[in-house]
This record gives sequence, structure tokens and C-alpha cells, in this order.
Amino acid sequence: MKKLKSMIHHSLGWVLTAVFLLPLLWVLVASLRQVGLPPPTTVEWYQPDPQWQNYQTIFERVPMTRYLQNSLVVVATAVPLTLIIASMAGFGISQLPVRPRRQLVYVSIALLIVPAAAVWLFRFQILRWMGLLDSLWALILPAFTGSNALFVLLFYWTFRRIPGEMFEAAQLDGATAVTIWWRLALPLARPTIVGVTVLTFVMYWSDFISPILYIFSPRYYTLAVGLQILNQLDRTNWPLLMAGAVVMTAPVILMFFILQRFFLHDLSLSNLFEKN
Amino acid sequence: MNNGIISRLSLRRYHVQIWLFVVPFLLGAMVLTILPALATVAVAFTNYNAVAAPTWAGMDNFMRLLSSVYVRISLRNTIYFLALAVPLRLLGALLLALLLQSERRGFGLHRAAVYLPTVIPEVAYALIWLWILNPVYGPLNMLLAGLGVQGPAWLTEPGTARFSIVLLSLFTIGEGFVILLTGLRTIPRSYYEAARVDGATAWQSFWRITLPLILPWLLLLTFRDMVISLQNTFTPSFVLTYGGPYYATTFVPLLLYELAFDFFDFGMAAALLLFTYLVIGLIIMGILNLVGSERGADDF
Repeated sequence: MKKLKSMIHHSLGWVLTAVFLLPLLWVLVASLRQVGLPPPTTVEWYQPDPQWQNYQTIFERVPMTRYLQNSLVVVATAVPLTLIIASMAGFGISQLPVRPRRQLVYVSIALLIVPAAAVWLFRFQILRWMGLLDSLWALILPAFTGSNALFVLLFYWTFRRIPGEMFEAAQLDGATAVTIWWRLALPLARPTIVGVTVLTFVMYWSDFISPILYIFSPRYYTLAVGLQILNQLDRTNWPLLMAGAVVMTAPVILMFFILQRFFLHDLSLSNLFEKN
Repeated sequence: MNNGIISRLSLRRYHVQIWLFVVPFLLGAMVLTILPALATVAVAFTNYNAVAAPTWAGMDNFMRLLSSVYVRISLRNTIYFLALAVPLRLLGALLLALLLQSERRGFGLHRAAVYLPTVIPEVAYALIWLWILNPVYGPLNMLLAGLGVQGPAWLTEPGTARFSIVLLSLFTIGEGFVILLTGLRTIPRSYYEAARVDGATAWQSFWRITLPLILPWLLLLTFRDMVISLQNTFTPSFVLTYGGPYYATTFVPLLLYELAFDFFDFGMAAALLLFTYLVIGLIIMGILNLVGSERGADDF
């Protein structure tokens, strides 16, 4: 009986894995299909004659290289900036006396609740007044908010769990706050740094709404917009569209495999919630 | 004594430095989030085309909202989406968390698989669904045909198009799933052991232990999902159907985008936003009230 239950449990796990993963396999297979072939009669599980040049074709049809470059510039700037701003804020909040500390935690939580659409209209205006509309800075700027108040809170929770005596001892030795943050606190926050890096990467890499709202010149388009352009160019050229989707998704999945060690295994996330 | 003065001085200096650490974040949040959000609230009561200075309009924008047929359609679509997607996403995340919380071999992989679609970039995800739902080339109708069912045309029929947007939101529940996994782990194992000693069935311990203890997490997720999943209708409805057919997938965020960035009617767009989140706020308060009166408010 117990054995049967365990078997059912295991097979259920595999069924769920299949449901969530198989579509991705189909996409990969579809991206290698010959362009212009009549529709298949059944679901295709593999491609007898994989057309790898589909991946080359999308770079020729639209300026994919330019889009890719822009996306990389945005990510390469926004991720380190986010790490600095969010870890500094998290560290600062964790070192403040009780009252301001609590107030700032509440402010961060309140920031989490603000719906993204609520800032669309006036971010547009503020970017215009700053002269940053229609530039890659329009996409990078949210890094100055720590990208997401959750990241500030994650750093805050991490630093709160480090015994305060450590920081006090360093203070008495005359260490400045910057030294303590950089030399003492950050090395102890490695899992949080990795987690926030991955989440921030995914956030900026995938961002579709900001370029739609704030970018008008094709030379500043990112990969997300490029995919939509590819879609508008030829809505039924499935092999090319799926190749585009794969190019956009592959780096994120790579990042995800780094992330899942930190978020899905063991207890790292639950540790963060237990003590704050 | 000398030492004491020095350390007090250095302590004060340290505190000043610490405040400086928080300044960039506070400044960024102020300029890019708080001010824009507040300005949106204010502008809802003005006529504002994003170029000329706003002029006071009182409740005009809200009156126009109520009489606009597009607003009515988009609100109806949004309520349809929230009523269907939020409970289904929550239920899905809870079931998956319960099934996959096991520490048995292989379950780490299953958890990763369930989370994976959540990280796929929105545009790529939308394009993938555009293909999956295609009646001629897409695999979904082929699977249905294999079961002897004639699949619908999905995105070209209003009813199925609207449902499609819900459908594709059901596979991006990774965040709720992880949050509930975390919630389940905070329940002490000893509770279940004690229940088992007392002869409780798995079903009973779910209703008596798991559900009550996970309820605050479920509520939190419900509220979060109402805000976030509504937001997340933007990209799918933009890429898959651009609001069509016959406005069937015009949800509030898309209409807001149209009003603000195609018609430059910022006042009306802001009023629509305010009205929508007011309604969502009321729904949340209603749920809190309902749960509070049933269980006693002290649980919160």
C-alpha cells in the first residue's frame, strides 16, 4: 500500500514535469522545421532534417545583432547597479536604530504593492524632463530604485541575520560603513547576491513594456521588441518565430539553473522568512 | 574616557554614513515610483494631454469612464480574468506545492520544471502560445484531435480568445508555488506526527492543520496575484490579439496604454487606473472581511 502510494506520487511528479517541460521541447523542434513546409499532421517530437540556418535567418531578416547588443548593454549596466543600490540600502536599513529601520521596511513593503501600471504615465514624463526618453537609460534607470523593493528587503533580511557584534567590533576598530559593507557584509551575502543577480538579469532581459513605452528609435530596440518586430513581419512563419523565442529564452534558462539551487532546493528562501 | 569620546564620535559618524547608504534607494524610489504614482492619482482629476499644463476637471474623467463603452468592456474582461485566473492560479500553485514538497529523490527536478515557464521572457512566452494555439500549425489542437476532439479556433473567436489569456497565465505560477512551498515548510512536522498518533487521516490533517496554517499565505498571494496577474495581461493581449477580436481581450492595462500613449489622454488613463485599483481594493477588503468574520481577526 505504502509502496503503491509512493509509486503514484513519483509518477505524478513526472507527469507534471512533462506537462511543464514538453511545450519547450516542441518549441525547439518547431524552430528547426523547414520554412514554408505544409503544416504537420501530428505533434512533432523531433526534426528529421533540422534547419539550423533558421537561427541565422532571423539575424538577417531583422537587425537582431543590434537588438542583442542593446539588451546586453541594458543588462550589463542595470544588474551591477541594482546590486549596489539594493545591497547598500539593505545594509543601511539593517544598521539603523529600531524606529527608522521599521519605517523603512514598511516603506519597502508599500513600494512592493504599487502596481507597475501606476507609474507608466509619469515615468514617461519624468524621463522626458530628464531628457532620457528614447535612450537605453530609460530602460536602465529603474535600477536606481533597487529594481524591485523585494531585492532591498532580501538584502535587509540577509544582513539582519549576521550577528550585530561583528559589525560593532569593526566599528570600534574605526572601520567606515563602506568598509564594513564591502569587506564584511557583502562576502557573507553571497547566496543573496547570486539570487538577486539572476532575478535582476531576468527582469531586464525580459522587459517588454518599458521599451514599448519609452523607446521610439529602432536603434535602441532590445531583443524583446525585436521579437515583436519579427512577429509583425510575418505572423505565420513559425520556424523563425520559434527560433527567435529560443534565442530570447536560452540565456534565461541558463540563469535559471543557477537560481534553482538557491530557491527551490533546501531551505534558503524559508531561512530568509524565519527571522527578520 | 578619551577612548569613549572617540568611539562616540565615530559612532555618530557611522550613523551619518549609514543614512547615506539608504539615500540612493530612497531618492530613486521617490523620483521613479512614489512621485509618478502620486502624480497619477492627482492627474485623474484633471485634463492632461502630457504637453500642456493640466487643467482641473473634477470628476469629469470618472463620468466619462462610466459612459465609455470601451471602459465597460475592458472592466468586464478584467473581472472575468480576475475571477477565473486568480483562483485557478492559486489552486494550481497550492496543489503543486502539496504534491511536490516531498524530499524524495527526483522532486527537486519536478519543482524546477514547474517553475521554469515562469522565467520565460513574456514576449517569447506569448509567441510560443501564439504557435501552440494556432489551429493549423499548433500542437494543442493536434493533441485534441488525437483525443477525437475538434479544437476551437482559439484566438479568432471572442470567447476562446479571452479564455486563452487565462489559460496561458496558468502555467506561470512559479512564484506562488515557491512562496507556498516556503509556507508549507514553516509548519512544524510535529503537528502532523501528533495528528497521526491521534489517528487522523491525511485528508483530516490537511483540513485541520495545513489549510488553517497556510491561509495567511494564501490570502497574501491572492492579493498579490490580483495586482500582478492583472498587470501581466498586458503583454499577452498586446502580442497575441492586440485586444481583439471585437475587444474580447482588451483588459484594463491595454486600454490604459491606448488612452495614454495613443490618445495622450493622461487624465482619463489615470482615472481608469485609480478606478480599477479602487475596485480591486474593495474586493480585497471584502475577502478580508469574509475570512475575518469566519475565523476571528486575531489571526492577522
